[in-house]
Amino acid sequence: MHNQYQTTPAKILKIEDEGSNSKLFTLETPKNFKYQSGQFVEISLPGFGEAPFCLCSDSSEKNKFQVCVRNVGAVTAAMHNLKAGDKVGVRGPYGRPFPLELAKKRNLLIVVGGLGLETVRTAISEIIKNRKQYKKVQIFYGARSEEDLLFREEYDLWMKNDIDFHLCLDKPTDKFKLSCPVIQGLVTVLFEKAPLAENPVAFLCGPPVMYKFVLEKLNKAGFREEDIFMSLERRMHCGVGVCNHCAVGSFFVCQDGPVFSWDQIKDIRGAI
Amino acid sequence: MSGRLFLCYNIKNMTHSELQKFIGFLTGSGYDVFAPEKQKDEVVYAKVEDAAKLKLIGEPPLHSFKRFLLPPEEVIFEYKKDRMSEVKKARKQVIFGVNPIDLKAIVLFNHIFEKDPWYQERMKNTLIIGQSLIPAEAEHNLFHIKYEEDVLEHLQFDIFLEVQPAPTRKGRGGGKNYFVYTGSEDGQKILDEYGYKDYEHIQFSGPIKEEGLEPQMVKYRDALKKIYKKEIWEDDLGARCIECGKCTLVCPTCFCFDIKDQPNLVDKGGVRKRAWSACFYNDFSEVGGGHKFLKTTAERIHFWYYHKFVRIPDQLQIMGCVGCGRCAKVCPVGINIFKVLASL
Repeated sequence: MHNQYQTTPAKILKIEDEGSNSKLFTLETPKNFKYQSGQFVEISLPGFGEAPFCLCSDSSEKNKFQVCVRNVGAVTAAMHNLKAGDKVGVRGPYGRPFPLELAKKRNLLIVVGGLGLETVRTAISEIIKNRKQYKKVQIFYGARSEEDLLFREEYDLWMKNDIDFHLCLDKPTDKFKLSCPVIQGLVTVLFEKAPLAENPVAFLCGPPVMYKFVLEKLNKAGFREEDIFMSLERRMHCGVGVCNHCAVGSFFVCQDGPVFSWDQIKDIRGAI
Repeated sequence: MSGRLFLCYNIKNMTHSELQKFIGFLTGSGYDVFAPEKQKDEVVYAKVEDAAKLKLIGEPPLHSFKRFLLPPEEVIFEYKKDRMSEVKKARKQVIFGVNPIDLKAIVLFNHIFEKDPWYQERMKNTLIIGQSLIPAEAEHNLFHIKYEEDVLEHLQFDIFLEVQPAPTRKGRGGGKNYFVYTGSEDGQKILDEYGYKDYEHIQFSGPIKEEGLEPQMVKYRDALKKIYKKEIWEDDLGARCIECGKCTLVCPTCFCFDIKDQPNLVDKGGVRKRAWSACFYNDFSEVGGGHKFLKTTAERIHFWYYHKFVRIPDQLQIMGCVGCGRCAKVCPVGINIFKVLASL
């Protein structure tokens, strides 16, 4: 029997500093490793344990993948001490991705807060690669300050590829020169500033507190519950739907999610 | 099943002394046999050292079969630097005297751990010997399960001893006689090896009875899903529960676990372990950065009930509680699952 907890060694190809005290790890892909936007992997560092990380890279790249790691716990702290050439263990990918096929037929609104941008970066890469297959794409991105922004150098490329990108900062400081306009406030203010494309589906990813307020806006804008897709963060510990740490209602975030449509989870107490 | 009545006049029962001989045969064949044993005021599982002294005790043991199939802590990998190698060690064991209530929990475990290499390896080396004495008192049998013959085809075991109501002659040690069923090829094989032929085989037909879903399961599931009674979860249970986790230790269907590493501090090596966890512990839902999704005692005890009475029924169409009442027995603040279910 295949041991589903067995990790495969993956060499670290590159480590770069990112915003939010994060580091972007580029890793060698294990054999037969295919993934989509919204899925995650368990990364194992023997002696420290395992932790889940969302895949944030261009999934058409066959030989490497990326995860963005913020230093928040034992595994992530140990990862921050690694160097290119070191190895980590990988298992996965796990979970249900964002439904990009649906976004090919409809306009798409992506609303992300903070580290949530990582989770949709794979989708953004895919859209840019096959831009003609998609219709109007808007991104609303909210972060705390310039230091917290992720993938700062990529916004230009996104905009050049006809992505309607809007950024707001809770505490703008003008520390970095950004090529896009910056609005002060939480991500919900962007709904007042940017006109929405017609009849879109929405992909959301952000901290739990963001969902409540964004859902209010989407509801007002007439989104149907089944057209709103959101990635839930939980403690995806075993990754294979057994240990129950990530259970939400009758779902396991690691298997049935992390991406759910709002109509799937709206009646579950504590889902958001 | 109808064959049983037809056949019973020419099928012999196993006497208790023959059972003891059979258990002796198993210990002689290298099996560790664990059987319920009365120690002071409590029935507990203990290793059988002398099969001639084995008794069949109807009173359910305080701890179930659980630790024999899912140990409180087990090494699952050994690592050296970044190399991780699987560790599988399972001794041959017999879990003796499991009643139909606990056998239901084994059916659940078999589902949950169907792809788990360590559980499967342990099961391969385990013989489960069930028995038919079910406590009548509601405190040990919340759902009033009765031993009827059609119970067996929905349970998983290797051998099952149906305790006969009127012993024809007194066997040594217990005075009981048993009709023997087998529920697996392993069960048949071992009886054949021992030389006992008078058994009947039961084909497992899945956990759900022909009549469909258990009405009790549907009732609790729907009640918990549809209504959130603040007065139960927050005002009462959330205020009383002290989150000791004892209920999860004795519960035969609690299986949540943690995976953690333990370095040996010598050669960059160590082990990865799996250990029981409990949704009552406050870090159960904690993610990197410290956020907890189950913040209060009320949320955690609600999660426990939801798992047993909604999530497992939604996923597997069987109840995630077998009604053994152990949780109520060990709860230091007197939380009684029977009363909680009645108030849903």
